[in-house]
Amino acid sequence: MSKAFLVAQREYVENLKTKTFWIGILSFPVILSLSILVPMWLESTKDTRKYAVIDQSGWLLPKVEERAELPDLEKFFLEMWKKPELLANADSKVIPMMDEFRKRAGKLSDEEVQQAAKQFSDTLTPGSDSPVLASLPSEAKEALVQLREEIRRAWKAMPPEEARKISRDFSKSRYQRIETTDSEEALKHRIDKDELFAYIVIGKDPLDGSDGCKYVSNNLTDESLKDWFARTATEVVRERRISDAKIDASVAKHIQEPLAFVETKVGKGGEETKVTDQDTVRQWAPVGFVYLLWISVFTVAQMLLTNTVEEKSNRIIEVLLSSVSPIQLMIGKIAGIAATGLTVLGSWIVFFFLGTTLVPKMLGRPLPIDFSIILSDPVYLSSFVAYFFLGYLLFAAILVGMGSVCNSLKEAQNLLQPVFILLIVPILAMMPIGKDPNGTLAKVMSFIPPFTPFVMMNRAAGPPTTFEYVATTILLVVSIIGAMWFAAKIFRIGILMTGKPPKFREILGWLRAPVGALPVRKEE
Amino acid sequence: MEYALTLDGVTKRFGHFVAVNQLSLRIPKGSVYGFLGPNGAGKTTTIRMIMSIFYPDEGTISVLGHPNAEEVKDRLGYLPEEKGLYKKMKTAEIIAYFGKLKGMPSAKAKQRAVEMLQKYGLADWVDKRCEQLSKGMSQKVQVLGTLIHDPELVILDEPFSGLDPVNAELMRDIILNMKREGRTVIFSTHVMEHAEQLCDYIFLINRGNKVLDGTLAEVKKGGEHGIQIDYDGDGSILKTIPGVTRVNDSGKTAEMFMANGHDPQEILARLVGKLRIRRFDIREPSLHEIFIRAVGGKSDE
Repeated sequence: MSKAFLVAQREYVENLKTKTFWIGILSFPVILSLSILVPMWLESTKDTRKYAVIDQSGWLLPKVEERAELPDLEKFFLEMWKKPELLANADSKVIPMMDEFRKRAGKLSDEEVQQAAKQFSDTLTPGSDSPVLASLPSEAKEALVQLREEIRRAWKAMPPEEARKISRDFSKSRYQRIETTDSEEALKHRIDKDELFAYIVIGKDPLDGSDGCKYVSNNLTDESLKDWFARTATEVVRERRISDAKIDASVAKHIQEPLAFVETKVGKGGEETKVTDQDTVRQWAPVGFVYLLWISVFTVAQMLLTNTVEEKSNRIIEVLLSSVSPIQLMIGKIAGIAATGLTVLGSWIVFFFLGTTLVPKMLGRPLPIDFSIILSDPVYLSSFVAYFFLGYLLFAAILVGMGSVCNSLKEAQNLLQPVFILLIVPILAMMPIGKDPNGTLAKVMSFIPPFTPFVMMNRAAGPPTTFEYVATTILLVVSIIGAMWFAAKIFRIGILMTGKPPKFREILGWLRAPVGALPVRKEE
Repeated sequence: MEYALTLDGVTKRFGHFVAVNQLSLRIPKGSVYGFLGPNGAGKTTTIRMIMSIFYPDEGTISVLGHPNAEEVKDRLGYLPEEKGLYKKMKTAEIIAYFGKLKGMPSAKAKQRAVEMLQKYGLADWVDKRCEQLSKGMSQKVQVLGTLIHDPELVILDEPFSGLDPVNAELMRDIILNMKREGRTVIFSTHVMEHAEQLCDYIFLINRGNKVLDGTLAEVKKGGEHGIQIDYDGDGSILKTIPGVTRVNDSGKTAEMFMANGHDPQEILARLVGKLRIRRFDIREPSLHEIFIRAVGGKSDE
């Protein structure tokens, strides 16, 4: 076996010198950081959308603008609460007032702060206290009213550029209305020249219905301006209709109150716990793992195939066979490339760990969702490594056998097409299984050996029963041993064969033939 | 006599095709042994069986006293006809790798690889990748990889194919050198000159059957004598001379065989005036003639 080790060692060392290896190692962190940075960058380069409004009703537009400010104020309040230093140079009055409120209110829970901010948008029953805040001392309530007034004033005085610096999520920083008396024709012309993103027409009687309301823009994909404006206008109209119908504000509020369902799950002991973001991450993490598993198994198994075919077309095989047996050669190659693959995977895990835990910690900016749960769950990581290994061995056996009968990569690719078509299946099943990890589809597919590694990984959030783990693993290991046995028989004959690739029936003949017998081939 | 290799009634079939039929051979230790035969005769199959790459269907093979070459692989050196190198590896690395596969300790293999490259004029190429080598140089590297572990029995399949005269000369030197060191060398070829110059023994195979084997002298002894000439002029008239039955014309030299009862002098007389004869000689047949006669003038290309 020491010769197989030498083969594996050479394979590993030579692979480390290839570009493919380093591209494999570096592609993951590059893709990872690009997938985080590019959307951030795109978001930051997004221009403020300029729009114009023709208000035929004569009253709706100012109300809409007033109404649109409320969510901004709520957000602004929360931003200030978290990071008062943001406003340090903009306005000095807000901060002492905020401190005053803090002092009078004592320690506030997150929910109380949320409610304090929410009161900005409570337009139906202004001034009424939410039940959460009712317990505050009256001097704290007074301070809060004054603080709100001050925040409202400071916000109004703040130019859009300043608001943009604090956050891009304010409607103030995203949309800018152009004051205009132009006719519709002129506005159309301006849209055509890209001076305007869109213009909006408000109908004569919005209280009556949507007649005459329209939104005109040449950008058909970004509908956020339309949605935002329509939503705000709808709210204003709805409030007006409520008051016109003489419905009591608190009744209207009560009617509109949605039913909120608290999402909970039941733990092992039967106790009920609230569902957090982490649970969602945990539930969907296996899907990510399956994808990674699939890519890595195939990249590495294909590396083995390429390598085998190249070695064969290099005519180096027979030289090697004078020193090692074909089986030693095959085992050495499979092991050497497995080591290469595990190195790449290991580096990915390290990069992932650094990217999700250490780097944000160092930068002092925690990620919005805590991904570290993926790494701290031993089931995920260990099943990932185990299924990579088992999956690789199974496909390595198939591909090394196939590779040994091919003389060129092109032949190999033709031969592999049916295998790849078959292997799309776990990718197609990935989402359905992610949603229903213990469903019939998932259970049945777990017992089909070529799918087992991917499907079982996919189900890790379930998780499958111990019986399923044991049974599918036994089945998989038996298949691997079988596939290796077939591969060894094909390998030792195929590897010395040149000329046309053999027919499938010929290969079946090799499996029956005793080791070392090469069936005759007619060549012209 | 001690034998490095013996084959007894070895047969190899591929389906219904008999590649090697009932072959028995004895190869004495320390000899240079030539495997001759046309393409497809069974030379490579025989060699592969000796190397345990194929197993014979019948018969036994004993290599260095062992029934299976697997057990003594580390004492054998084998240069197949189809040979290659890892293009990305450096010359010294790959030679050392072959040595390690033959059981040499890593440090020793590395040291020896560099020494060999220096000895055979490739000192400048120690750190070069194999893809940069010319064909002759890579063949040299392949030979060094075969010999790095000082094998007792060396088997070279078509070692002269594709070599220019300088490298062919070097190959001859390497073979003779190994003989001097007491190693046994087997090589296959279909170029008779190489066999005539180098071999103590030859073995001729055609269509899987042994045609003859023995020392060079033994093989030639039974054969019909022929006329060998060196000449200038148009060789096509050689065939028209009465009494000449066969001609092996090489352009400047030729070998002729006569029908019974004809006198060589008579033939010489007829040649004079038509060609410029520089040498006229009557001797045992060349290996080429023996080869042609044995395989019936046809090869299974």
